[in-house]
This record gives sequence, C-alpha cells and structure tokens, in this order.
Amino acid sequence: MMQNLEINFKQIDKIKKITKEEKNFRIKNLESFKASGFPNKRQEDWKFTDFKSIVDSNFKELDAQRVSSNINKIDLLKNFEHNYVLLVNGNLHSSNFDYEEKSKIRINNYDKSIDYEISKNPLICLNHALAENGYSLEIDKNYKFKKVLVIYNLFTKDIKNKILNNKNKIKINENSELHVIEYTINESKSKFINNVYENIILEKNSKFKNLFMQNNKSDGFFHKFIKNKLSLNADISNLIFSSGLKFNKIDIECDLVEENSKCNILSALFLKKNEHQEIKTLVNHLAPNCKSNQKIKKVLSSGSKGVYQGKIYVKDIAQKTDAYQLSKALLLDDNAEFNSKPELEIYADDVKCSHGSSSGNIDQDSLYYLMTRGLSRKDSSKLLIKGFLNEVIEFIKNPSIKKFIETNLEYQINEY
Amino acid sequence: MLEIKNLQASINNKTILKGLNLTIKPGELHAIMGPNGSGKSTLANVLSGKSGYEISGDVNYEGKSLKKVSVEERAQRGIFLAFQYPLEIPGVNTNNFLKTSLNSIRKSKGKKELDTLTFLKLVKEKASELGINEKILSRQLNVGFSGGEKKKNEILQMKILDPNLSILDETDSGLDIDALKTIASGVNSSRDSKKSFLVITHYQRLLEYIKPDFVHVLSNGKIIKTGCGELAEELEKTGYQKLN
Amino acid sequence: MKYQELEKSKEYKYGFVTDIESIKAPKGLNENVIKFISKIKKEPKWMLDWRLKAFNRLKNVKEPNWQKPKYPKINYQDLYYYSAPKSAQDKPKSLDEVDPKLIETYKKLGIPLNEQEKLAGVAVDAVFDSVSVATTFKDKLTEKGIIFCPISEAIQKHPDLVKKYLGSVIPITDHYFATLNSAVFTDGSFVYIPEGVRCPMELSTYFRINSSETGQFERTLIIADKGSYVSYLEGCTAPMRDENQLHAANVELIALDDAEIKYSTVQNWYPGDEEGKGGIYNFVTKRGACRGKNSKISWTQVETGSAITWKYPSCILQGDNSVGEFYSIAITNNHQKADTGTKMIHLGKNTKSKIISKGISAGNADNTYRGLVDISKRALNSRNFTQCDSLLMGNKCGAHTVPYIKNKNASSIVEHEATTSKINEDQLYYCNQRGLNQEEAVGLIVNGFCKEVLQQLPMEFAVEAQKLVGISLEGSVG
Repeated sequence: MMQNLEINFKQIDKIKKITKEEKNFRIKNLESFKASGFPNKRQEDWKFTDFKSIVDSNFKELDAQRVSSNINKIDLLKNFEHNYVLLVNGNLHSSNFDYEEKSKIRINNYDKSIDYEISKNPLICLNHALAENGYSLEIDKNYKFKKVLVIYNLFTKDIKNKILNNKNKIKINENSELHVIEYTINESKSKFINNVYENIILEKNSKFKNLFMQNNKSDGFFHKFIKNKLSLNADISNLIFSSGLKFNKIDIECDLVEENSKCNILSALFLKKNEHQEIKTLVNHLAPNCKSNQKIKKVLSSGSKGVYQGKIYVKDIAQKTDAYQLSKALLLDDNAEFNSKPELEIYADDVKCSHGSSSGNIDQDSLYYLMTRGLSRKDSSKLLIKGFLNEVIEFIKNPSIKKFIETNLEYQINEY
Repeated sequence: MLEIKNLQASINNKTILKGLNLTIKPGELHAIMGPNGSGKSTLANVLSGKSGYEISGDVNYEGKSLKKVSVEERAQRGIFLAFQYPLEIPGVNTNNFLKTSLNSIRKSKGKKELDTLTFLKLVKEKASELGINEKILSRQLNVGFSGGEKKKNEILQMKILDPNLSILDETDSGLDIDALKTIASGVNSSRDSKKSFLVITHYQRLLEYIKPDFVHVLSNGKIIKTGCGELAEELEKTGYQKLN
Repeated sequence: MKYQELEKSKEYKYGFVTDIESIKAPKGLNENVIKFISKIKKEPKWMLDWRLKAFNRLKNVKEPNWQKPKYPKINYQDLYYYSAPKSAQDKPKSLDEVDPKLIETYKKLGIPLNEQEKLAGVAVDAVFDSVSVATTFKDKLTEKGIIFCPISEAIQKHPDLVKKYLGSVIPITDHYFATLNSAVFTDGSFVYIPEGVRCPMELSTYFRINSSETGQFERTLIIADKGSYVSYLEGCTAPMRDENQLHAANVELIALDDAEIKYSTVQNWYPGDEEGKGGIYNFVTKRGACRGKNSKISWTQVETGSAITWKYPSCILQGDNSVGEFYSIAITNNHQKADTGTKMIHLGKNTKSKIISKGISAGNADNTYRGLVDISKRALNSRNFTQCDSLLMGNKCGAHTVPYIKNKNASSIVEHEATTSKINEDQLYYCNQRGLNQEEAVGLIVNGFCKEVLQQLPMEFAVEAQKLVGISLEGSVG
C-alpha cells in the first residue's frame, strides 16, 4: 500500500511565470484529482485496468517533482535517415530537422493553453494540474516532410518513484504531411510513471502517421491520452507496437469533425510475463462520409493481460459513415487474459458499422498443417504468431521502417 | 517403405479403421478407393500422425515403427500429406513458409540449409514445371486461392520438399480437367524407383492420368479388394455397392 | 368510446381494462404490507422471515443507475404491492368457478384457458395482477409427477423444494429490483420436472397487469431434475394507462445433470403512447443455473412492449459440458427504450454459450444490447459465439452495443460479431415491385432479419411473435 504520494498545491506555486487563470485551472484540476485519487476498476473506463491497485502494489512512494534532464549523448537509430526531436524525461532537449526546410517547422516547449474541460479521467486532471514540460510542434501549410521524424523519448537512470507529467501538441496545417515514430528509450531500471497528454490537430487535407515503439523492456508505467481532431479530408494513422512495457495504457480519442476525414488505429503487440497493456479508443463520427478502421492484435503469453476497449460513436448527422473495428487475441497459456469491450453507439441509419472480437489459442488445424510440412510445434507456433501479427505490419509502406518494426517484433517472438 | 498391420483407429469412441493391412514397397504407387465415410481420410490423417485418434496395430515406415513419432518428425523423415482441404493461413507468406519448411527438413537430414536465392531458384523451376504462376507464392498461404490453386500449391510443396512417401488425400476432388492434368504430371514426373505414393480418391478419373501399380477398395474401415489398374475401371462401371 | 381512444386501442390491442372488484393491500412499502401479503397467502413463518430479510436489506441498497435508459424517480410508497380479483380470494377449485369476466379477459387475450378447447395442448397458468387465477391441464401433468402450480401453492404444498431452490440463483442479496421482488413478490409459477421426465406439453404463464397504480412482482421458479426436459412460455399484457407501472419479476431456473430448460418470452406490455406517455417499466431479473453436467438452458425473448425494458436473462454454466443460449429480438418504436442482453458465466469445463441478438430501433427509440461473456480460468475448452445485429429506421433513434468479453484461459475460444445497418432500399423496392405496400415490406424484411431468433420459438408462439414484429413497427416508415 502506498502512503507517501506527496502531491500538494505548493507544487503549483513553484511554477514560474504563471498567470492567474492558469493557476486557477491547475488548482481546479488538482482538486478534481485529489477528490478521486488514482482511477480504479469501479470507473467504467478503468474496468479492466485497476490502476489504483497497480500503483499500490508497485510503489511505496511516489512524487511528482520536476526532474532535471542532463545527458551526455544518445545513440541515434541507423536503420533509416530521419529528423529527430529528443525528449529527456519528457523535457524538450534538442531537435534536428536537417532534411527539411526549417522555416516551415516550429518546435517549442509545451503549449500553455488552458482550454480544457475537467476530465472524467483523474490522470488527465493530474496532468493538467502539474504538467510543465513537453513539446509543441507545428508544421506550416503545404509542406510535406521528406523524411520521417523520430521522437526519442528518453528516460534517464536516476528516474525512480516519480510520476512525470508531460504535455505535447502537434499541429499540421492545410495540405501538409508528417510521419512520426515515437521511440522510447528507458535507461532507468526503477519503477516510475509517465503520464502524457497529447493534442493532435489536423487541418484540411493534412496527413499524419504516428507510430509507437520502444527499444527495450521497461519497468516504466505509461499512460498516454491522445486527442485527435480532424478537419475536412484529413487522414490520421496511429500504429501501436509498444510491446515490452510492464504497464501501458494508450487512450485515443479521435474526433472526425469534418467530412471525408479518416482515422486508422492499428496495433500488433506481443505481451510477456505479467505485462499489462490496454488500448482504449473512442472514435467520434461527427460529420458525414468519414471512415474509421481499427485493427488490434495481441499475442498474450505467460501471465500477461491484454485489454481493448473501443467505442465507435456515430452522430445523427454522420450519414454514410464507414466504421470498422476488430480486436483479436491469441492466448498462449492459461495464465494470460484478454478482456475486451467493443462498443457501438449509433444514431444515424445509413451507415456501415461493424465490429468483431475474438480470442483463443493458436488454431490447432493450422498447427497440424505446418507440422506435416516438417516444422516443429514451436516453430509452427512462431510462424503462426508472426502471421497473426503481420496483417498489421503490412500497413507500413516504407520498406526500411517496415523491416525495422518486423525485426523488432521477430526478436520478441523468437524469445518466446 | 510402408507396412500397415491390423490398423485400428477410432475417434470420439467411434471406430473408423477396423483392421487395415497394406504394404507399399519403394517405387510403387498405390491407389485407395472407397465410398464416402469408408475411412479414407482417417487413414491419411493417421499416417501423418494427427492427434486425437485412438490407435492400435502396427505402422512401420522404412522398417521403423511410427508409434509416438510426432507429426513434424514424420514429415522430416519424408512422409508428405497433400491435404484434401488445404488450410488458409492468413499473414503467413507462402514463400517464407516453404523455405522454413524445406530448411527444417534439410536440417533434420543433416543437409545444409538453402539460402534465399538458391531457394527461390528451386521454387521457380518447380513452379514452371507445374505451370504455376509464381506470383501466388508471394501471397499469404492459401488465402484467397481458388480450389485449383490450393491443390496445385500442395503438389508444388510436394515437389519442393521431395518426400519418400507421398499421400494424396482426394487431391483430385473438385478440380477441372486442366488442373487435374497438372497434378497428374506433378506426380508422374516425381515417380522413380525409390519413391512411393498412396493416392486416395473417390473417383477413377485421376487414375486415367496416374497409373497405379495396385488399387485397393476401402469399405467400412477395411480393404475388401485389391487388384491392378483395371479394378478402378471396373469400379467406375459397377459402383461400390456391388462389392459389398 | 371517443374517437381518439378508438385510435389508441387499435395500436395496442390489449389496452382494455377489465372491470373487476379487487382486494388491495394498503399503498406503500413497509413491514406491515409484507406481513399482509404473507398472511393473505397463508405462508409459513420461514417464508415471511425470508421476505423480511430481503426487505431489511433493501433499506441499504440503492437503485442501479448504470443502465442507459433513465427514468423518473419511482415513489415506492405510492404503489400498491398487492392486488387480487375479489372473486379469486377463495381460490376457485375449477375453471367453472372462475369469474366469467376473467375468462372473458383471457379470451380477449387469445389465451386458451378453457381445457375443453385444448387448443394447442399448452398448459396455462394465468396471473392476473398479482394472483395466479387458473392453471390448466393439472391432472395430466400430475400423472407424470410434474408439479405446475402457483408459487404460493408450492410454498404450502412443496416447502422442501421451494426452500432448497428459491433464491439459490437470485439471492436476496442481489441488486435493488431483485431484492424488492424477494420482499414483496405476490405470485407466479412453480414448475418441478422429476428425474428423467420429458414434459409432454408446453407450459405457459400469461401475466396481465389490470389494476392501476399497481406494481407487479411475480416470481417464477423452475427446477428440471436430472435428465428431464421442459419448455416454458411466458406472455404478458397490460391495459393502457397514462401513468408508468412497475413490473419487477424474478425468474429462477435450475437445471440438474443432463436436464434441459427452454424458456421463451413474448413481452408485449403496454409501451406508452406515441409521445412516450405511460407504459410499463419492465425491470426483470432472469437467471438460470446449469448446475449439473451436460445441462442446458436456452432463453428466447421477443421484447416489443414496455416503455423501458431492462433485463438480462443469464446463464451460470456450472456443470461441465453445460450449454447456455440466448436468442433475443428487441423492437423499440416511438419513445421506447430497451437495455437488454445476457450474461454467460462459464465456470465448468467444456461449457458452451451462444448469443444471438437482434435489435430494431425506430421513431425516437433507443435500443441497447449489453452483455457479458466471462470465461473463468478453470472453464477449460469453453466456447462462446455472439452475434449482435442492429437495424435502425430513421436518424432519431439509436442503437448501442456494449459487450463485455473476458477470456481467462488459452483453450477457450470467444468470438463476437456485431453489425449495424438499415433496411436495404433494394430489398424494399423489390417487395414494392411485387405489390407489397411499404409496411408489409418492412414487416417481411424485419422478420427475415429476426429469423434466427423466431425459429427458436415454439410453434404456438412463433405466429404471434411474427405478427407482433410487424405491428410494433407500424407507422415507423415514412
């Protein structure tokens, strides 16, 4: 049981250059967090992930003080050419846009706007109360990135029993395009919580690809809420390959505000010993002719727990909506668990909405078929697991990035 | 090559094979014919080592008992089963699968694994022999294949894996005449003095293209008649009923 | 009758009121009312104690509020908890003694109460307001050792069975409405099928709420002993009233080794008028326990009535190899709201469950499927298949699908599929072209949409249900 969570209002006083409004906003949010504490399974959105008990059983103490961000150097990925932004413990450290026209890109410290309602999610309230670092990136009109942008998300050795609150924002203006890989590197061998709020705004005809992964196993506990807002013809893809994290909950809310906007949420995960990952989505179809596609695939081995809560909401005016949602899990042993809640809430009649969810073991007939071709049970299983996850990886068009992801996933499967 | 003595097999407490005897020598091609439900597919499954069957009797392959030999080890020792209904396996690339399969068989025989280039060359050669469009090999395993493509793919796998004993489980069913010829030529071109075949079929049609050394009639879990090629023709005329 | 009323009664043909003197307990919910009910039913002390225990617990539980349809606060002190036709107070010994007006009522409902008619070979127990008024075919059933009687009678005559099983599936510690029922239930049916007996005919209960300001709280208990089989049908109607009426029934099913229970419901309570005024609040708790190995419980429901329907007929699959099924059609029109579905709790090995749900929403209505499939760690080799389809007619109505799926072992397979669509224009056109009018065409297509569920109903019900499906949607296509 954790007794020493020291989050008090003094911390807000320490924030420099703060307006009265901002201070009120932060205090209100902190009050809201303090009233509920960490979310537990009695809250509908946390039904399958009792965060409070996870925190209680993993942390004796926690503090939310700011941390420094000193590092010497970092090894950049050599697999493909890329621009980069380096975050150290969530703080914007440095950036490099040598492949691009720099005048088209603005990167700054976190966005200070306080234009948020009090959320039902206590972790978002906590973030609004305390976040004072992160980054804000804006791409000008009519600019398509030539190379991918890697956001190195580095956590340093000295991070221990911390809860880090970061706030990020990406805005892509009309007719522009960006492809991001968020690459988490964790050097800390201790437990900590990273709680992120991310705001993503896509203007008319813009395109954004957002891919999540990390370089190694990690004892960090990650919660990230992402708000996507899409205008006319905008197109977003979220690709989640964050295997290896002890705890991870990605909560994506996507508002398709104007016609013909498109949203993809795809994930291929291989979870191991006692890992717990939840993907929660809410896709709001608020205008006609929008399209959303979700495909979540999880392979769950010893003692791991996979959760998918996905909701499609279709407003009465959002006719001709095309929304699809699929969640599939392979359970590799009896200590693994898959929980899902695929939800539809629909108020327009001329729509195409469907979802499917399934879980079970590796198909025994397929296994037999492969074994009659001389493959061992283990190798056949691995091949089928790869096949199961491949369907998502096929979505990546850039060959070197695809290769990079594939190798990463293969490494995890081969360890099994 | 293969020696089956008094083989009995049951599944879910239902006996399907009731004392089957069969001997296949190297270089021989045997055909097994029989009506639906006579136990043809069960025989194929049991020989491949599929689990779920209660089995008694002896099955010796190359002089050794197959009892307790796993599915993949049988495959590695050269037993190949062409499935009646080849499975669709989404996400698994056909070429990649074939390469993994071939190399695990080669490895078990102490042979060197093939690199990708040599492998692709081999595939190309075998595929063109069979008149198979290589393009389907870069697709997912059997996914979206037509019935004919699936069966051709089975024969291609047979050619590539180069087994000693090939069991064809109703490979001819549901095929048009061109696909049937492709399959027959695949089998015929593989025949030599060392390789053996067990062709399971419902119809005599396939046997017009593949000439068997022996034809057996399977009924109610037992071989009730054995003959040479003419037996098949006779069956076609008279039907299975007369034999009972 | 004024013109308007005439119009109304066309829409809901069971909307008549029968003018019968009735005996009522004083309004309100308190210990005295519970004692009154228990006394008038001549109940033994253990039964009264059980009721009071439930009532005491009720003081500390709140009404659930997570369900989607919200309703105005119910004043539980302003309801009658007991209402009985006066003439039935001294229970009729045979049908001849039943008040002719009652017989007339059931005739209007199309229910075969008169044994002479032996209409469909269905044994009927009719519950009017709170009391069971007549049970048919008793002799024939008694021959086979089958007990089919009002539960009030069972409490007196078969106390051992009732004591053993009542509350064993829905305990008095359950949610608010279930507990309320345990405290104040008035009557309902009791069925016991002895070991190895296959019930030779369909058993059926018809429920009717007649009195105003009356809550109906019936309780049904069905026990299928080892190797037995029973098919049970339930139908319900109520007069049209401007006020909302509460119906909070409990149904408990127990299937022992190798036994099978098939439970079918056609629910056609008054749904309220076009503006959403009046109608029944149908807050029902139905639960079955597959207690024995190889046992099977199958729920089929056609829900077309009620202002608000809130029910989840569930199966607890305790015995190895047991099977649970749920087939449902929920049709909501005008301002109706339905939040319905099932729970399949897999505890035994090799247990199987199947869920087929068809929701149809028209007008300003709201239709929710809510379900739970829970495969526990020790329920090895279990299997679930769920198919939930919704049909929307117009864009003022809503369809909501909320499945909760938990799989806790690797040898079990869970599959869930759901779709939402509208009536295919081409199909409509095709039907129109063949001379069907719009409403006939819709009825035809919707019946096709529901076919998988309608097929599950016994013959006697299937015809009625098909008609209902058409009628419920009248006026929904412009």
